[in-house]
Amino acid sequence: MHGKKNFEGAKDFWGTVKRLIKFMGPWKWMFALVFVFAIGSTIFQIVTPKVLGEATTEIYAGIKRGMASKQSMSHYPINFTRITHILLTVGAFYLISAALAIGQQLIMANVSQKIVYRLRKAFKAKMQRLPINYYDTHQNGDIMSRAVNDMDNIAGTLQQSLAQFVTSIVTFIGVLVMMFSISWKLTLIALLMLPLSFVVVGIVAPKSQKYFAAQQKSLGLINNQVEEDFAGQSVIKAFNKEDESIKNFEAENQRYYQSSWKAQFISGLIMPLTMMVKNLGYVAVAIVGGIQVASGKVTLGNVQAFLQYVNQFSQPITQIANIANTIQATVASAERIFEVLDEPEMPQPKNQAEAKSIDSQAKIEFKDVQFGYTDDKLLMDGFNLQVQAGQKVAIVGPTGAGKTTLINLLERFYDLKGGHIYLDGQDTHQMKREDLRSHFSMVLQDTWLFTGSIYDNIKYGRPDASKEEVIKAAKAAHVDTFVRQLPDGYDTVLNEAASNISQGQRQLITIARAFLADPEILILDEATSSVDTRTEVLIQKAMDKLLHNRTSFVVAHRLSTIQDADNIIVMNHGHILETGNHESLMQQQGFYADLYNSQFDN
Amino acid sequence: MLKLFKKNLEILPVLGAIIFLGLQVISDLSLPKLTSNLINYGVAKGDINYIIHIGLAMLGLSILSILASSGNVYFASTQAQKLGAKLRSQIFKHVINFSGNEVEKFGSSSLITRTTNDVLQLQNVVVMMLRMMLMAPLMLFGASFMAYFTEKRLTILFLIAIPILLVVVGVAMYYAVPLFQKLQKQIDKINLVFREGLTGVRVIRAFRQDEREQKRFDQANQDYTKTGIRVFSIVSLLFPFMTIILNATNIGIVWFGSHMIADKSMQVGNLVSFMTYASMILFSFMMLSMIFVFVPRAAAAAKRINEVLETQNSIIEPELTQTNQDANPELSFENVEFRYPGAEKEALERFSTSVKGGQTLALIGGTGSGKSTLINLIPRFYDVTNGSVKVDGQDIKAYQKAALHEKVAFVQQKAVLFKGTIRSNLAYGKADATDEEMWRALEIAQAKDFVMELEGKLDATVEQNGDNFSGGQKQRLAIARALIKEASIYVFDDSFSALDFKTDAKLRQALKDDEKLSKKVMVIVAQRISTVTNADKILVLDDGKVVGQGTHEELMAENEVYQTIVKSQLKEGEA
Repeated sequence: MHGKKNFEGAKDFWGTVKRLIKFMGPWKWMFALVFVFAIGSTIFQIVTPKVLGEATTEIYAGIKRGMASKQSMSHYPINFTRITHILLTVGAFYLISAALAIGQQLIMANVSQKIVYRLRKAFKAKMQRLPINYYDTHQNGDIMSRAVNDMDNIAGTLQQSLAQFVTSIVTFIGVLVMMFSISWKLTLIALLMLPLSFVVVGIVAPKSQKYFAAQQKSLGLINNQVEEDFAGQSVIKAFNKEDESIKNFEAENQRYYQSSWKAQFISGLIMPLTMMVKNLGYVAVAIVGGIQVASGKVTLGNVQAFLQYVNQFSQPITQIANIANTIQATVASAERIFEVLDEPEMPQPKNQAEAKSIDSQAKIEFKDVQFGYTDDKLLMDGFNLQVQAGQKVAIVGPTGAGKTTLINLLERFYDLKGGHIYLDGQDTHQMKREDLRSHFSMVLQDTWLFTGSIYDNIKYGRPDASKEEVIKAAKAAHVDTFVRQLPDGYDTVLNEAASNISQGQRQLITIARAFLADPEILILDEATSSVDTRTEVLIQKAMDKLLHNRTSFVVAHRLSTIQDADNIIVMNHGHILETGNHESLMQQQGFYADLYNSQFDN
Repeated sequence: MLKLFKKNLEILPVLGAIIFLGLQVISDLSLPKLTSNLINYGVAKGDINYIIHIGLAMLGLSILSILASSGNVYFASTQAQKLGAKLRSQIFKHVINFSGNEVEKFGSSSLITRTTNDVLQLQNVVVMMLRMMLMAPLMLFGASFMAYFTEKRLTILFLIAIPILLVVVGVAMYYAVPLFQKLQKQIDKINLVFREGLTGVRVIRAFRQDEREQKRFDQANQDYTKTGIRVFSIVSLLFPFMTIILNATNIGIVWFGSHMIADKSMQVGNLVSFMTYASMILFSFMMLSMIFVFVPRAAAAAKRINEVLETQNSIIEPELTQTNQDANPELSFENVEFRYPGAEKEALERFSTSVKGGQTLALIGGTGSGKSTLINLIPRFYDVTNGSVKVDGQDIKAYQKAALHEKVAFVQQKAVLFKGTIRSNLAYGKADATDEEMWRALEIAQAKDFVMELEGKLDATVEQNGDNFSGGQKQRLAIARALIKEASIYVFDDSFSALDFKTDAKLRQALKDDEKLSKKVMVIVAQRISTVTNADKILVLDDGKVVGQGTHEELMAENEVYQTIVKSQLKEGEA
């Protein structure tokens, strides 16, 4: 659904351009300077061929004078003072032009990097303010491609294309002016070539774009297949599907080959074709110019300069065409980035003082909570629950019963559709999320650790913890034993794929992290499912110590871990079916008893 | 890199590309000569016929030039893309057949970038090489030659200009190349931090580390920006400096040239053409300097590709095989030992065991005790270090890989589904399965109920990685996919942990009740005692050792490790 194709054009081109310009606002004077420099540098560069042409004319004049005078001389009477003068002027022009170009490029290198820096920063900051729901509904790959590829596009365009665009336009106009100043007749001949090159570009460019689009699409499909098949490689092997998978891959690979070489070939033709058109103009000007010089209407230096202009003339046209494409792609990229920046954010509570309190004895209270992940379907409708301080609350129920949802709401990863959740009598909806979360610590099913040392990962639970505290937490979670067996101990860097430690060990580290955080309320979401049962017993013992006098929520599939819970909540379809402790629930002979006994029927 | 090129590029088309490139260079080089003739003999003498004559020749040359460059583009782009397509398919075929050892060595995300980005890099460098980089030496040589013959005294100017140019380019490269490498590392870091922010969003928020994440990202962002400004500043200085050198050379040419013309030792037209040659020579130096930027990058990509292609699959298939189609289901391990390559210690110490059709073998033990390692030996994802594994009475090394995988159905710990539909995923297990068979498999896997509720039922969409299903649902679908396969051995690698007790129990009951499946060998890795109590044989693993085998009752009576596990799960008195 979301921006799967990078090559798509922008939906609102000018709107995005305006925003982009606004975003660059702080650097507007820098841009103005860049443009002035670019224009200046280009003008000086354009004028030089004509001035240099005067040198040729001067030489030619000397020769003519020499030939005209009947006496034979060993030297032609060339006016070297004048030539020296011309060359010094040209040299000065070159230097000014280069200095301006350097200034322009340096500013641009600086500004473009800073703009992209700011854009990246804004993007990352936005990610912090987006609700979890956004993460659920958007694929990581898509968000990544915006953060990486689209950013790259913008950086590249700012760095190179923008100033080039200005330079090209100035060159085009400047060259035209210079040509007219030399000879309007020759200029008209050169201009005749213009429509011809438009025709060439107009015919060829759309064709190559068509193939480029096909190529991009194939490439996307190839990448998808490679990703999927390599990730599921062992499944493919186990089901003997290697040949089929290779066959599919080959088919797409061939399609890619067909469209990519055509795209490259056709776009590669543009340059020689415009070169030919240019040469055509060049020859025509040479012929007509030659005739005019012979008849004395134009000076030789001017024709020479004019020929150089003809060479320069066609360049900006192809350049502008190229850059226009680049800019289009960049604007599309910018649009995709702005799209993210425009996503609705999590609402922030207005005012701490307004936070509504109720008189409640409970540590945590769910009152008439209504919630659904989508707007059209409520998962919880009128959910009520009271948890006293220091209680251990276990949540059980089949998959999809709403166990994880309960945790999500506690941490306020999602906002309620109705009702309230109170923490110490205070409406959590009116607390700052950070303040609310400071009361909790959690261990999730998904064992997320960041790329960094084991030590730093544990310390993540409480960044101001001392080394002793970190080791203590590691010991409590039985991380210490296996970490000491690693060659680098606590400094072992966990890699991204986390292939250097086992899944169970990762889980232990996340538990250590929660230990260190030492929260008021502990949340364990199926945290123990990939730790073997023996290790789990040890953790359980340490956990009991940690849980002492602490409110906790435990979601677990293994009923053995929760039998000592003060309160067991049995959920199904977003509702509480039964509550009570193990004994009372067993006596009820209901859903829980059924679930419990199923452990033993064979 | 050269090795890959040698193997995958075709000689004739590459030669074609070079020849056409040569033709293009020759015609480009001849144009200035014609221009100078045009001026020397045509314009200067007012010979209009000559002007038209030469003009036509110039036209002819430019047509030749475009033909040549089209030819070059054709060969260059087909060769480059062919190289890309060939490499991609070689890597893909190679990797698909890798055993677990090899996949682990690289990591699947690294294999993915090698197949996609690295190949793309190489492909781009070939185009550039065949079109631009090879042009540089040809042009350099040709233009120097022409310049020398036009006016050898002026070529002395090049002896000054070229060394200066080389120094400028050299100095810039000296500073820029390491910075570019640094830049690449820094952008990788930015991407890494950003990706972690996406995958760990819940944890980050729960631990209120948002600010820290922002700082971490900002640090990476700043580092990159600093390097970026430096490296692009250097690069942006390069071009104006080169232009200055070129222009200074031009001024020199006009100055000295005009003196030569004055003493009648040179013609005016030669001045113009000499300046053109000068710019060609300096231009080709600029192009040569690009080689220093792109080639090292491509060489690194080529190295990474070669590493993959040169990695031998550690599992060797037999050439000839007996078939044992009708053999009875049976699985046995005889004196099996296993050690990961390079590891000091055995991951599995010597053990033997066997089960027959209709029996269930269960494995239980702690994290890292070797359960997964053991069952991964059955489909030969890894090869045993010693001893042998027999399926249906035959050593698995004597099977063709495909034949072995026909006999073994395997459900991974982490369920992997493919993009498509429920039907297409099930068809993975049995290509010609009927709807009835599919429903039956789903029913046994306890997946029928939720599939029935899906829109489209069997034709309901499955997103990439099965992201639109919950963990438990994915697992059940993966189980159904394995059950539909007509194998003799069914292996479940901790596949039941994601299911709740009830579903787990129902599933195992359904396996037993099914007429066909009840005659096969079932291998179950489990964490819950309740999952294994009914197995015909339970293997207890501890730290790579099989410390006990037998039925639940036998083990309860005498096996200490087993007793501990049982105790940990069931409170005293309930067992």
